[in-house]
Amino acid sequence: MNFSIMFDKEKCKGCTNCMKRCPTQAIRLIDGKAFINNLKCIHCGECIKVCPYNAYTPESIEWYEEMHFSSYKYKIAVLSTPLYGQFPKGTDICKVQNAVLKLGFDYVYDASWAAEMVSRAIKKKINEEKNIRPFISTNCPAAVRLIKNRYPSLMDNLILLKEPMVIAAMTAKERAKAKFNYKDEEIGVFYISPCPAKLLAVTDPVGDYVPYVDWVIPLNTIYGQIYKEIIKGDDKLCLYPSLNGLKWAVSGGQSESADLTNYIAVNGMENIIQILDEIENGNLSNVDFVETLACVQGCVGGTFNVINPFIAQSNINYVLSNTKDSELNEELEEFEGMYDEGIFKFKLNPDENPGKFSMKEAIIKREKIKEIYDVLPGLDCGSCGAPTCYAHAEDVYNNDSALYECVVLRASKKE
Amino acid sequence: MNEGFLKRYSFNIAANDFMSAGKGSSSIKNILKSMGIDATVIRKIAIVSYEAEMNIVIHSLGGELHCDLYDNKIIILSEDAGPGIEDLNLALTEGYSTAPESIRELGFGAGMGLPNMMKYSDDFKITTGRDGTVIKITFLM
Repeated sequence: MNFSIMFDKEKCKGCTNCMKRCPTQAIRLIDGKAFINNLKCIHCGECIKVCPYNAYTPESIEWYEEMHFSSYKYKIAVLSTPLYGQFPKGTDICKVQNAVLKLGFDYVYDASWAAEMVSRAIKKKINEEKNIRPFISTNCPAAVRLIKNRYPSLMDNLILLKEPMVIAAMTAKERAKAKFNYKDEEIGVFYISPCPAKLLAVTDPVGDYVPYVDWVIPLNTIYGQIYKEIIKGDDKLCLYPSLNGLKWAVSGGQSESADLTNYIAVNGMENIIQILDEIENGNLSNVDFVETLACVQGCVGGTFNVINPFIAQSNINYVLSNTKDSELNEELEEFEGMYDEGIFKFKLNPDENPGKFSMKEAIIKREKIKEIYDVLPGLDCGSCGAPTCYAHAEDVYNNDSALYECVVLRASKKE
Repeated sequence: MNEGFLKRYSFNIAANDFMSAGKGSSSIKNILKSMGIDATVIRKIAIVSYEAEMNIVIHSLGGELHCDLYDNKIIILSEDAGPGIEDLNLALTEGYSTAPESIRELGFGAGMGLPNMMKYSDDFKITTGRDGTVIKITFLM
């Protein structure tokens, strides 16, 4: 179901760019072509961004069929906060909403309201639970999975609040159910996504919650259609966004809209890794909240966005300063009740049992890998098909690769 | 005494070298992660070994950080070449710091070092004298 990242073997030249960029070392080159290990992939989209040959592309034919030929009686599009930044500066946000509606939806819901509610929940939780510092945001599914994969000890620091996408989808769906008496399965919720990680958040959530989103549509696959409708310029419908919630599009926006003062907003995979290291060392326990966003500048830098992240940020700022701030939305009035009911919070799904640990065996394994590693040249060139010499040593130990896949070793053997 | 001892990893720590500060404890952390040690234990060891390393960098004439692996425990051993802690009881008090102002301005030396180490460990032993300070911190598995 949903979209998937299609990989075109013909386009792949085996250049090692994606493999070396992958933050979880999930990519190997096999017979000169990239291969992603789905168990390790966190859907951050770095490989898609870095590939010089466009070998990775999102395909989403199924949702399109689902939309036009399905049995849904009511179709809702949820707009992500960075969407308004994807069109020329000054584009009327009402036109954007109408353009999306015209693609065949019955209703458009702006996620900024949900974002503002989650901001309030962040502030409340930080004030209520002072024993955990810093709290780490759970908005970016790629960052959360990076933590799960490489910094499992920091799972306790996650703030465990549902992301605006989920709250928006839930609110829109419940509202349609109440208004039109539709059943759950008669309503389709489509999220127009700036990033591939949101798909993972829908199909495989880290927590015990229902994602409410039925389909995730990569923005770039429908960008052209939205653009054409904007040019036609029909603006009958207009739902004002929460300007406070819209700030979530840009790194730092979660904290700003939650009115926090003692926070760190970090974006881009390499930067996140450095900050997570600091937290693990116990250095940031005097900070309330850390916003970790996988993409440069935050969600405006999402892989499926079309506009350069810095330009998109400027466009969002333009919307923020040129849009009339609207009256309080009805959901916001219900915030306190929803929070007390526990609608925003979630619990992590339990981990699989890792089995019995033996220090002796762990040391033997490490020493064997070290022995292999010591033979390798330490160039981390990637020619063997693994991102680093150490990763190659691990692959050899696990019988996933052979020592002499190393071109340097092979050359010296001939001499 | 050394029953169940399996393996030692050692790192030289230079005094006043703030560019490399943290690399020793970071290596220990990565070794333990690659071995599949329980995440909660790694978290404690990361905090304690980082504090120990920073103490060597800031307060001592240089030293070594060791990570000793046993069947059912891990010991972090910090050894430096002096000049020793003048008032040990005071250094074990939360909030107390002997770090000079210039170093505190860099964000180091908030004075939580030793009490923090005690808090996160299962056993904490310290001896100090003019020739150096030895801290032995034990984590049970």
